[in-house]
Amino acid sequence: MHKRAGMGMLRKIKVFYLNVKSLLVGMKVTFKNMFAPRVTLQYPQEKQPMKENFRGMVDLIPEDCVICYQCIRICPTAALDLGHKQIIVDEKKKNEITKFTFNTELCCFCGLCEEICPTEAIFLNKMYEVAAFRHEDLLKIDLMDAQKYKHLDKNYIFKKKE
Amino acid sequence: MPMTNFDIKNIDPEKEDNLSFEELIVNMGPQHPSTHGVLYLELTLDGEVVLDCRPHIGYLHRSCEKIAENRTYVQFIPFTDRLDYLASMNNNLGYVLTVEKLLNLQVNERAQYIRVIIAELNRVASHLISAGTLAQDLGAYATPLFYCFRDREKIVELFDTLCGSRLTYNYMRIGGVKNDLPPGADTSIKSFIKYEREKLKEYDDLLTYNAIFLSRTKKVGILKKEVAINYSITGPNLRASGVPWDLRKEEPYLVYDRFNFDVPVGEAGDAWDRFKVRLEEIEQSFRIIEQALGGIPEGNPTVKINKVYKPAAGEVYLRTENPKGELGFYIVSDGTTKPYRNKIRSPSFSNLAVLPELVRGVNISDAVCVLGSLDIVMGEIDR
Repeated sequence: MHKRAGMGMLRKIKVFYLNVKSLLVGMKVTFKNMFAPRVTLQYPQEKQPMKENFRGMVDLIPEDCVICYQCIRICPTAALDLGHKQIIVDEKKKNEITKFTFNTELCCFCGLCEEICPTEAIFLNKMYEVAAFRHEDLLKIDLMDAQKYKHLDKNYIFKKKE
Repeated sequence: MPMTNFDIKNIDPEKEDNLSFEELIVNMGPQHPSTHGVLYLELTLDGEVVLDCRPHIGYLHRSCEKIAENRTYVQFIPFTDRLDYLASMNNNLGYVLTVEKLLNLQVNERAQYIRVIIAELNRVASHLISAGTLAQDLGAYATPLFYCFRDREKIVELFDTLCGSRLTYNYMRIGGVKNDLPPGADTSIKSFIKYEREKLKEYDDLLTYNAIFLSRTKKVGILKKEVAINYSITGPNLRASGVPWDLRKEEPYLVYDRFNFDVPVGEAGDAWDRFKVRLEEIEQSFRIIEQALGGIPEGNPTVKINKVYKPAAGEVYLRTENPKGELGFYIVSDGTTKPYRNKIRSPSFSNLAVLPELVRGVNISDAVCVLGSLDIVMGEIDR
């Protein structure tokens, strides 16, 4: 219960002193921050470059893929879909990818596929602005296509990971 | 029954029977900024005073435990990120340590040191958020929260260079870690500690000993030692009630037994003590990080993930000290590549259970303060 009525003069002064002190200390911090360097970034105008091993959208170098199905097996959310068939080139049996699609909706961007790939064919690129107008645009992204993310980002250029 | 104008005119104030008191039920949440996620509190009020409180959970349920039964041991690591999403590294750590215990796997020294450093940095980040959100719940709109986010940003940046993600790290691996510390991490961590120690003094001036903050948090939501133990409260909330229980001291895992650090305890167990204990734990984490950085051995901490783990049939339980409290994983293996059962004991679940005890009889504005000081995360309550 509040005992304001029975509060002694000394205590009143003490509380007053504490309040004024708190106020002044707060003001001091505010004053210091007026001259401190800015830490915020004006986002759409200024953009920060992504870190070297940033995990963005899944990307593929089709020539390097050896169809080992390791990425399909490790994916915790089954976001990747791969199919292949045997073809005969110069009387030699050879595997060819019939489809390799990526479902953005299921992906949790854990980067396990990139880590397990023996030839570093599959990797996560630096895209992070991935809003789309239509739901279907995100569901079946053909990883064999070099223009795969052109509909999400106009500036997308297929680039191998350094 | 609500009173009409006619009733009010005919009230005789001398007779007590005429004055009817009504209990009012207020639904706080699930969409409410101070409930820290999708928590729904059913508050029974008498005016401003809370008579009873019933927390309803389940709005963020993603059935993590069931998912674990259909995933291999490696595949489940990204899902542990989503439990306590403010301390993903610590969740990763708890899970991989349990699986390593199940497999009887030895981890090399450098990996253990890196794990300690990273886990402690994440603890600092989690406690900073906790301090900031409590202040915001009390009405210190945005400023303390943004100050804390500004400091946390430096840790998050470091994690970003380390593993490529800012929130869901997926960094710990069974038998090691994903990447070695990046070059220059040593100096950047040390400069962060130096910077943050100065900022902690500023927070003490700005918040901890501020007259308004003291009057809002002192003697609010007092959690007695016995009640805390009965409800199996863990972590900073338990230590604020005066129980010096820290798993890093009691059952040292990793290499925690090699470091000198104190276990800060509170006295009264009120909201202020819980806040203060967290700020002091940040300082203790810095001590651990400095010692770990000093004695980190050489070696290769990384492991390849394309190995299939097939533990022998059996069960194992291991608990680790998370920022929120004691996180336990109970894994039953039936000898296949997937666990038969994975039970997660999350600290926030127990910490939330004590809320009705604490808010009975306090004002509704103080109920928000109590909830903020308990520092719950819905991600690991609903799992």
